[in-house]
Amino acid sequence: MEQHDSTFGVQLFIYDLSRGMARQLSPIMLGKQLDGIWHTSIVVYGEEFFYGGAGISSCPPGGTMLGPPDTVVQLGNTEVTEEIFMDYLSSLGETTYSGDKYRLFEHNCNTFTNEVAQFLTGNKIPSYITDLPSEVLSTPFGQVLRPILDSIHIAPPGRNVISSQNNHS
Amino acid sequence: MAENSGTDPAVETNTEENAAASATIIKVTVKTPKDKEEIAIAEDSSVSQFKEEISKRFKAKQDQLVLIFAGKILKDGDTLGQHGIKDGLTVHLVIKTAQKSSSGSSQTSASSGPGPSQGNTAGTANPSPAGNLGTPQGSGPSPTPTQPPNILAGFGDLSGLSNLGMGSANFMELQQQMQRQLMSNPEMLSQIMENPLVQSMMSNPDLMRQMIVANPQMQQLMERNPEISHMLNNPELMRQTMELARNPAMMQEMMRNQDRALSNLESIPGGYNALRRMYTDIQEPMFSAAREQFGNNPFSALGGNTDNSGVQPSRTENREPLPNPWGPPDASAATTTTASGTATTTSSTTSSTTPSVSNPLGISSSSLGNGMFNSPGMQSLMQQISENPQLMQNMLSAPYMRTMMQSLSQNPDINPPPSGPAPAPAPTPTPAAGTNTAQQQLMQQMLQMFAGGNALTQTPEVRFQQQLEQLSAMGFINREANLQALIATGGDINAAIERLLGSQPS
Repeated sequence: MEQHDSTFGVQLFIYDLSRGMARQLSPIMLGKQLDGIWHTSIVVYGEEFFYGGAGISSCPPGGTMLGPPDTVVQLGNTEVTEEIFMDYLSSLGETTYSGDKYRLFEHNCNTFTNEVAQFLTGNKIPSYITDLPSEVLSTPFGQVLRPILDSIHIAPPGRNVISSQNNHS
Repeated sequence: MAENSGTDPAVETNTEENAAASATIIKVTVKTPKDKEEIAIAEDSSVSQFKEEISKRFKAKQDQLVLIFAGKILKDGDTLGQHGIKDGLTVHLVIKTAQKSSSGSSQTSASSGPGPSQGNTAGTANPSPAGNLGTPQGSGPSPTPTQPPNILAGFGDLSGLSNLGMGSANFMELQQQMQRQLMSNPEMLSQIMENPLVQSMMSNPDLMRQMIVANPQMQQLMERNPEISHMLNNPELMRQTMELARNPAMMQEMMRNQDRALSNLESIPGGYNALRRMYTDIQEPMFSAAREQFGNNPFSALGGNTDNSGVQPSRTENREPLPNPWGPPDASAATTTTASGTATTTSSTTSSTTPSVSNPLGISSSSLGNGMFNSPGMQSLMQQISENPQLMQNMLSAPYMRTMMQSLSQNPDINPPPSGPAPAPAPTPTPAAGTNTAQQQLMQQMLQMFAGGNALTQTPEVRFQQQLEQLSAMGFINREANLQALIATGGDINAAIERLLGSQPS
């Protein structure tokens, strides 16, 4: 079949927000081993896209305050063009992924990444990432911390926020 | 049944579909960013037929529809089967707006007027963003595309640290580096200690005790050595210890005194043996417990050595007639729930100083704030905080924060009853019930501390309300003196009473 466009590579950038501390301290604090507190973003078309307390944002790959990612996963290729993708993101950002809908446990950066990954490639992101909230919540300490954590919004600085009137660059 | 002209195609499609009865109708979920619908279609339909259905359902023009499945864009000429679209699968849909921007940004849609896309949940005729995304408009002037990855580079002193921090993935190395840095820069230490947050944490003996006790290794230790629990339970002792920890100068003084006392002890016949015995009984388990927390990190010894240089020699003589070991706990939890949200982990930091005589729990005050520094978010936060203590107070006393903390601390529901609020994690609560209560209390205390210990902004009167009432009920009518005493003792009623009695209140 004729290819519409060239395909675009899609990558998943994974960051450990705890910088290794979760791996060290989780057995003590939570009673189970968690290798990290994962934050993820999608990198495609030479840009990094992620969801945080400020809504859907973009930046040059590795350009947030978190620095370079801990792990990069190749999710596959997509035929979706950047134009269509930006349309898609804008729609998402208006509805289910606006900034105020951010929930650290249920509707976070990884939820977003998972959805976008499926949109772009049909593949989901690795399950250990999406399982993290439930892993934490299944510990008593996690339950105790929950109200506090719920109020925290992760918004790594160093980004542009995508909005309709924005010329994201 | 039979209408004339339209029959044929109708029949055709009918037969097609009937024949497709063998190929079956499948239900495909079509998902837009806002919406999703299930569409029944014949399995061997073409994409354009599919789009027809979709345009009816979503009320959009066919050429506005972009269908995506498994990363591929479905073209009109293809069939569903070609792409492997089967029953129950999900196809993504993007409804293009009229704009034809080639630059890939949805910029031009702005010009298409603020079509109220708010009420468009169903139908999504015009999902194109017209309104804001509920987020600050992208005036991203500062985060330029050419931003250096290491943002902390602009932060001055700590930039070196941050480089270290971000370069190293190894937690232990990080700590070691931190300690070295801290030691080479004594101001930093005093800065940390002066940090009101740290101070307020240290001034709450109950909190400290709780934190120590909550640590499972400490609990083990306490079982084996009841003297330790005595030590912890003695409020006078705790208070003294914390005073010392707070004040590095005092600490050094104390250490020197102890060293001298110890060397004297040694000279008493039989004293040395007593010392040794005490060491093996008490100190060693504590050491190993403290060290265990770090997975027996050999580096911790390195890091701790230089820090306690004044105390090192005493290790060999060791022994310490229990009074005044370093109470400040291993787990000086920096549960700085960052309101700025740069880090999620509420991490309890532990010091990694080699435990020594006068410092049995291995607290190095330099590492008290240690773990906090390890994430770049925290680093910048701490930097800002230490530069501007007011900032922290402001942050904590932001009305939202305060009310949240207060309501959290007062809300008994927060602490899950032993049965656990979440139905799912049933297995864990029971065995952890013990820790659970301890942790709950701990959390409560911490929350209270946060809530009320930006009660550094609250007057002491308010803080000590309860104690004041108690004192006056006991007959200490001089409110002023009571207040003074309470302030001096940090809210400890018994000690306050002693003070009051000692000073002969009128």
